[in-house]
Formats: sequence, C-alpha cells, structure tokens
Amino acid sequence: MPSLKVDGRSLSASDGQTILDAARAAGIEIPTLCWYPKLPTVGNCRICLVSVEGQGKLIPACATKVADGMVVTTQSHAAVENRKGVLRLLAERYPADHLRNGGRGGASPRNEFERYLVQYDVVPTAVETRDLPLRSGDERPGDPMIRHDMSTCILCTRCVRACEDIQVVGVLDVGYRGEHAEIIVGADGDPDKAGCTWCGECVRVCPTGAIFEVMPRQRFAPQQIRHPEKVVRSVCPYCGVGCQVDLHVAGNQVIRVTSPDIELDTPNQGSTCVKGRFGYDFPQHRDRLTRPLIRKGWTKEGGRWIWKGPQGAERRAGPWRTIEGEGRRAKPGTPPRATGKRVRELPLLERLDMDIRDRVATPDDWYSPFREGSWEEALELTAQEMLRIKAERGHDALACFSSAKCSNEENYLMMRMFRGALGTNNVDHCTRLCHSTSVAAMQRAINTAAASGSMREIEQACDVIFIAGANTTESHPVFGAALKRAHEKRAKLVVADPRRTELAGRADIHLQMQPGTDVALYSAMLNHILRLGLENRDFIAKRTHDFEKVREAVKPYTPDKAAKITGIPADTIRRAAETYARGPNTSTLWAMGLTQHANGTDIVTSLLNLMFACGMIGRWGAAMLPVRGQNNVQGASDVGAIPFVYTDYQPVGDQQVRARFARTWGVPADALSLKKGLMVTEVVKPESGVRGMYIMGENPVISDPDIAHAEHWFQELEFLAVQDLFLTETARYADVVLPGASFAEKTGTFVNTERRIQVSHKAVDSPGEARGDFEILMDLTNRLGLPTKFRVAEDVMQEIAQVTPSWAGVTYDRLEGAGLQYPVPTPDHPGTAFLFDEDFPTTDGRATFVAVEYTDPVELPDDEYPFVMNTGRQLYHWHTGTMTRRASGLDAREPTAIVEIHPDDASLLGVREGDLVRLTSRRNSMVSAARISERVAPGQVFVPFHYREAAANLLTNPVLDPYAKMAELKVCAVRIERA
Amino acid sequence: MTQSVSHGEDYQPVFDGKIMDELQTVLQRYPTKQAALLPTLWIAQREHGWISDRIMAEVAEVLGLTPAYVKGVVTFYTMYHQHPVGKNFVQVCTTSPCNICGAEAVMKALLEQTGAQDAGATSADGKWTIVEVECLGACGFATPVLVNDDFLESVTPEKVPEIVKKYR
Repeated sequence: MPSLKVDGRSLSASDGQTILDAARAAGIEIPTLCWYPKLPTVGNCRICLVSVEGQGKLIPACATKVADGMVVTTQSHAAVENRKGVLRLLAERYPADHLRNGGRGGASPRNEFERYLVQYDVVPTAVETRDLPLRSGDERPGDPMIRHDMSTCILCTRCVRACEDIQVVGVLDVGYRGEHAEIIVGADGDPDKAGCTWCGECVRVCPTGAIFEVMPRQRFAPQQIRHPEKVVRSVCPYCGVGCQVDLHVAGNQVIRVTSPDIELDTPNQGSTCVKGRFGYDFPQHRDRLTRPLIRKGWTKEGGRWIWKGPQGAERRAGPWRTIEGEGRRAKPGTPPRATGKRVRELPLLERLDMDIRDRVATPDDWYSPFREGSWEEALELTAQEMLRIKAERGHDALACFSSAKCSNEENYLMMRMFRGALGTNNVDHCTRLCHSTSVAAMQRAINTAAASGSMREIEQACDVIFIAGANTTESHPVFGAALKRAHEKRAKLVVADPRRTELAGRADIHLQMQPGTDVALYSAMLNHILRLGLENRDFIAKRTHDFEKVREAVKPYTPDKAAKITGIPADTIRRAAETYARGPNTSTLWAMGLTQHANGTDIVTSLLNLMFACGMIGRWGAAMLPVRGQNNVQGASDVGAIPFVYTDYQPVGDQQVRARFARTWGVPADALSLKKGLMVTEVVKPESGVRGMYIMGENPVISDPDIAHAEHWFQELEFLAVQDLFLTETARYADVVLPGASFAEKTGTFVNTERRIQVSHKAVDSPGEARGDFEILMDLTNRLGLPTKFRVAEDVMQEIAQVTPSWAGVTYDRLEGAGLQYPVPTPDHPGTAFLFDEDFPTTDGRATFVAVEYTDPVELPDDEYPFVMNTGRQLYHWHTGTMTRRASGLDAREPTAIVEIHPDDASLLGVREGDLVRLTSRRNSMVSAARISERVAPGQVFVPFHYREAAANLLTNPVLDPYAKMAELKVCAVRIERA
Repeated sequence: MTQSVSHGEDYQPVFDGKIMDELQTVLQRYPTKQAALLPTLWIAQREHGWISDRIMAEVAEVLGLTPAYVKGVVTFYTMYHQHPVGKNFVQVCTTSPCNICGAEAVMKALLEQTGAQDAGATSADGKWTIVEVECLGACGFATPVLVNDDFLESVTPEKVPEIVKKYR
C-alpha cells in the first residue's frame, strides 16, 4: 500500500488510487471540472493540476496514480496560477458579468464553476471585450423536463460521459471543432430518436447549469432552488431497485429531487431514472384528498351509523363511466411523441380536445356521491362496520389489500390489525399479481422468498447475464443501466423475451419466443446441457436431490422440439444453453414475463431447475434475482402482508408461531386464526364470501384481471374503506375514503429487490387533514379493540425485529447510509450480500428439483382472435397511473394510451401510427391508439396497463395459477379492428 | 450501443443490397465496426452526395454506434459534406505558393464559368460547387485543382473552359 504526503499530511492510499482519490478520501479539496465520481477520467480540463516534488511539470491529480513516497502540494504557487489561467480561459466565453464585482456587488456564484471563479478570484471578461461569442447549441425550448442553455457550457464533457458510460445511452457527444465545438444531441437534435430515456444524469453532473431541470425553475425562485430549507434522504417511491434520493424542500413542498453522491453500496450510486428524478410532483397535485370522504347516505342516528341511501345496484353508483365504458369509448388521437428542438412546433397536448388534466385527473363530479367528514366520523364508521360484519358474517367475511407502496411498518400494522383485532388471515397485496409464482416456486425448491444475491455483483463479478421476461431498462431503469454497463465491460447477455426490448436489442443472444412457452425453452436448454454433459455434477450431487426426475422430465424436450413450440431456431437455443452453462458465473434474472402466467409457478420452476443443474447460485457473480416491481413488494411480503404467513414467512397454521404473535400483541392465542387466508385474486370472486374490505394504496379496479367482473364485485360489497392519496377508480366505490400520506410525508423503511432495508425520512407535511398511514392504522386498530401504542414508526420496527428472526439486528440507527441487506440476525451482524454459499434453508439444506411439463397457454390465437396480447409497463408510467399520470413531466412524455403493433400487421390491417384500433378478447373490448413498432413480433401486440381509459385488464384472462393464484396477465388472444 | 432509429416512411436506406455487400467487405478489414466509421461514411457520401442527419443515424445503426458519436466525427472533419453539393465538387488550392502563381484567377474563372457564383455555393443547375482548400501538396504544379477524385495540375484561367466543358 503506497503512502504519500499531501499538503504536509501523511496519507496511505490503496493500490491503483489516484492522487485525487487519496486527497478526497482525506478531505483535502482539489478542484475538478471534467472529473466526476464514477465517470471515466479524461483529464482534459487541467484544473486539478498539482505540484509533485521532483517533477518538473504540474501533474493532473485525477489521472496520476499514487506512487510510494510522493510529496504533493495542492495549493503551490504554480498550481494556483495554472488554475487561474484555466478559469480565465473558460470565463472568456462564459456569461459571468454578475460576478464582475468579485462578489462585492452582492452577486453570488450560481453553480460549481462560478464558485471556483470566486474562490480563485478570477474576474470574468466583460462582454464588450470578449473576442469570441458565447457558445450556442441545442436549446430544446418547451421541453417539459430538461432544457439547455449552452451559453454557459464549458465543454467539460461530463454529460457526454454520464450518458455514455453511466447510463449507456449515448445521446450526447461533442460535435464540430475548435471554437465551434459544442455538445450535440443525437444526429439531428432529437433526443428521443437517439434513445434518450430522460434520466437526467446529464443534469446531475453539469457543473454550470447549461443542462438544467425545468420544473423547479417554473415553480420556485432561483434562491429557493439553490438554498433549500432542508434536504431529506428518502427512498424513491417507484420500482424495486430502491434508489436513495434526496428531497429538496422549501415552503413545505418538494422543489426537486437529487441523488446523493455517496460512494457506499447504495443501489443507485447517485443515479436515478426519469421517474425518480422528475416524477416527484404528484403529492402536490390538485387532486390530493385533504379530508376524509364519506359516501352520502351514511347518517348517524342514536349513536350508530345507518345507511339511508339507495339499495341494490344504485348503492355505489356515481356520475362516472365504468372502466368497461371508458374502454369502449373513442378517444382523442395521440399526439406525436413530442421531443427535441422542434418541440415548439409539434402539436402538443393543447391540441387534444380536452383539458390535459381531465384525461387523468379525478373529474370534479366524481366527488359528488361523497361528503367531507371528520376523522372521528370516518374512523368510527369504518370500525363500526368492520366489527358488525365480523359479528354478523364471521371473521373471514373481512379482507384487506395491503400495499407494496407503503412502508414495512405500515404493512406490519395492517396485518397486525387484521390478524390481531379481526381474527382473519385475509391479508394480501399486489405481490399476488407480481412475484407470487416466483415465491411459490422458490419456496417449493429452497424454502426462500427473496433474491439470493445483490444487484452490484452483476457489474462486479458476473460473466453471463440471463434475463427472462424482464424489460429491465424500462421497468427498473437504474438496474437496467448497470446491466448495460456489465455487458459493455465483460458479461455476455442472453435475453429471453417475446418482445425486442432495448436489452434484447443489445443482447448477444435474443431468445424471442412465443409468449408463455417458457417451460419448453428452459427444459430444452437443460436437455442440451445434459446431452453435452455441461451440468454441474458436483453441485447436483452435494446440494440437491430429485435430479433424476428432472432429467427424465426434460428428455422429450429436445431443442428441435422446443423450436417448434417456442418459434426460436434450435441452434439459438443450443447456443444459449451452452453460454448459460459455461458461465463460469451466470446470474439469472426474471420478472413479470415469467410470473404472470396461469402456469407461472411451473415456468419459474423450470428456470430454477436449469439454474440448479448448472450450479449458478450461491457465489458472488452467480445470483438468483427475481427483480421486484414495487419499491416495497419485498418488504410487504417479509412483514407478513400475505395470507398464509406472519413475518419472515412463519406459517399461520403453526401453533407455536401463533402463540408467539399472540403474546407479542397481547391477545389470546385463539383470537388468531390458524386458517390460511384468501389471496387477492380469490377475494374478488362472488364465492369468496368476503363482504367487507379495507384497501390501502391499491387500485384493483385497474390492476385486477378481467376488470369488468372485478369492478362489479366491488360494487356489491357491504362495506368498502379505501385509504389512498387520490379518489382512485377503486376509491370511488368506497363508503369511506381515508386520505393518506405520500412517500415524502412520512418516515418508514422499505426493502428493495436485493433484500436491502432502507429508511426513508419525512420531508414535508401532508396537505390539509391528510394523515400518515401509520397514524390512521394505529387509530383504527385501537378502535377495533386491539390496544396499540406506538409513538413513531421506529417503535414498530422494534416490534418487527422482535418477531422476525432474520431482522432481529435491525434498528433505525443501523439503517442510515446504505441500509442493511437481511438476514441481519444479531445487532452486530453486517447484513448479507449473498445467500446460499453453503446450504439452502431447507430441512436437509438441499435444493429440490421439481419436474414440470410444458402446457400451452390457456388461450391460443385462432381465426376469430388471431393476435396474442402481452401486457406490461412503460418507462414513463407506473402501474395504474395513480401517481405518474399526475406527475406533470412524466405525463407529458407519454400522455395517452397506446397499443404496440408490428409494422407488417399494421399494414395488413391498414392501420397507421396514431390510428384508433379496437381490441377485442373473449371477455371484453377496448379502444386504444396504435403505435407501430418492431419491438413486438408479428402476430403479437403489447398493451401497457397504466391507462384507465384503455385498461389492458379489461381483456386479460382471469384464469389462475393453481399454486400462487396468479392470473394469466401476459397472454390472451385478441382481435384487432380499426375503430 | 445499438439504438433503434426510426427513419420514417419515405427514407431510402443507403446500406442495402450491393452497397451493404460492399460495406461487409470493408468491415472485414477492421478489427471493430467502430474502426470502420470513416470508410463507411465515405461510401455513404459517394452514394448520396452528402451526409444528412438521417444518414448519420443509419450509419450509427449499421455500425452499432450512437447517432451523436457519428455526428461528432462527421462534423469534426471538413471533407464530409453536411449539405448537398453539386455533381462536380471542385477544390482549388489557394495556399500561399498557388496564390502567388494565380490561384485566385483560377478560382474566379471557375466561379464565373460554372455559374456557381460564390465559393461553397452550388450552381443553379446543381452541377457545380467550388471551394477553396488548404494545400493539396502540389506546389510545383500550381495551381492544382481537384474535380471530384480527379487531380488536375498546373491549371490556369485559360484551361478552365476546357475543364468546365469536360465535366459538365
């Protein structure tokens, strides 16, 4: 380990560190412009030059490795004079007249570069004496998110490298030469054509504000933006990557979001995606509920609430169209995707024949069936009705949907309330429509329910990345960028996906299969691996059992046979199999493309069989990563918001487990049910017997399969309480709507896809009388007869740690910084980056192979319904759109519903870009606008499920997976006509 | 680094059929696709006359580069045309030795007789673009003139009518 002296201080550096790294680690400041953490070093700005003893010239600190015995002076006369020279040259073409009084005139530096000008006392050239005009470049006036003012560009090229090397997109570069050099955007100034994902990485790294964020400047004064009242560390509310973000606050509003530059093992390491950076304004939307709403018709007489409104079908009526009705209606055409420098000229949203906000926002008349009430009224009514249904119809006539968008503490309180106070296990959340089949398959094989590894190991140690059914660059963009970096650096990329997604386009091998034929594909890969003898015999022998069953089961699935089923050439399957098995370290990732099938458990099982047979688990670099969708879907499951387990997946049917929870909660053991509860997809059926529901932060009327039936079911309930930020499509049928708090308004912990528990802090107060979900649940639990006294969320975590062995060492103090990856069994345990290096958490420590057979998807295309419809997410939107469609920047990028159709099919149907088409499945039909795209294969269409007015789930098939009760959301047969 | 670029319906790709075959031969000479960017751009310019934004995007797609990278290269060099040029692209050396030997008169004659009028502009019939360039490396044979790929030496104003006639 070399040691050096910097400004008289002795430091030790690790091998390969630069002078700058060593100085920064010791807190010694060396100015930098072109250098930025994690960007490749180019060493072209020359501002970090320092004096090194024995060297005739100044040395760039950013690009010079430490040598033993170096003596460095950072502020030598020569170094300082050089810095002034560099700054003077840059200031020559920089509009800094406001600094000409040297700060004495009161002008203050506005950015990083100007701070250096002031620090080094460099007086900028006056306008009239400048030799060269200010720089120009692409401006993009009118863009809703990122604009340019290239007159302040100093050509440090940080943005170019951030785009190319961090996000691996490459929208920006340096064009022209000499004095004309400038930053260019794509070939023609249109970022969308160049593949821009609007992540804002360029905004983050720009030292002069030449590339800047629009929204804060539109709403807040420059002083407020530069000097926020406070900056609060939070966790992004969108996907399961769990990016740490900083919320800048002024006047009780979030003014902007930045990503902390900490160099800890955080999931995002300073990056965010478009949703994280620009999707933060929904909590401030005009639609936020600020007081509890009570359906008109409920009146209090003689100390009891009585329903005096209409009965029957009219009971939950309102001035709205059903989702079915919305779906069948014609829509205004889609505007062309509006981007680039010509944005001003494009027909933007004002050309739609309605107010932009009314397409997505809550229409004013939706509030008319409700009256505003007090918290006392709302909670009293809710408690009364839930207790009444419990008494009259039994415990199991009540059910709740908890929320993967809420914190661990809130989910724990919810399941504690339903189990402890109401005595039913009917507690579930959207994991049912997400990774429930993965959990079923993983529990069957290795008795676990979470990822085995970490996201960062993909970039650090993985040789082959196998991604199945995951559109990572759109659904988990920050992790997607890490995958692209890994691929650029060393790893081979194999993608199994019916669509040609961005990753599929980059992949070394793209297995473009017919939707739902996964079992045949993975079985054929294993078949080929066994034929070549590439399986990991040692791993199979020592760490698994029942392999022979699988060997027999995959025998019929030769690559040639699988080629016929999947539509992938047999040779491609063979190549993929060999790549997978040869590793040496192969990581296996999957998401909704595998799980959302009626045989999802079998599909995941066949992938796990492939993984175990090759021994690709339990090493750094060989990770099993089911990529989680919601920011806390892992945590909500971990703390027991699922119908058959308490925290840590302790079964509800176990007497000892029950006794322990009863003791902790202070209830008699027989108050807790031993019977497994109903799952989301089972609840929403007439035969479920559920008559009263409590829904927190979910919107099943959009997200459940075959909505028309689900919507009808909700209308028939005896009592429905919804806790949410907005009057959602589900909440409009409620008896009571309880206004909750957004992610920025509360403190709590969240678990990301790699089992990392992170804490998110409260930044602003909730609007009006809206309350934290924690307080609402506590109040209600007390009213339901289970005494509950937690002061703050941290107290709840203490109780969770008591009853959750793998979280026993978790405290809020320890979660500051990068958080902890559970298992954390003791207070001094450092957390677990990867699992299963020695054994699996099964009784004998071994994994079980489970033989599975291929079955056709339930619905195949035929003459009447010739297309296969696939559903999924888009980059700019999130699930039922409750949040993102109220985030102004995101909604402007992707304002209307679309359906992706292959150009060949489009020309056969006579459909052009933007034309309205009617999609009809065996269940229902809806109208959406066509987007012609080669991302889908011929014969397939892709429908995002974010849109109320064209809900994909009107069409989807509600048939369920036998194990996990997952619906077949990914495959259904449809017919397409011009509407 | 591949990006899927939509060209719109009316765009005719340059790299198709025989030209694509030619590109494949060129690619074999280089260790990476990126290394073949300059010759690929030459082919594109030969086929299309100049390099448009669309073509940059197409080249980027064909070579697996980003459109911005290709544009960066195109705009760095002076010999890739970013605007349409005449059928005959004429480069006249006007560096010091040639200038002393009468290059300006050659330039003037060419501009007048081709109808191009101004250096860098294209004649109304679309046939001529005349530009001044720095040293063409033939000081002993002033004034050298490049008409497309033909190198003409010792050009004088008197020889201009013949040149114009030949290439018209």
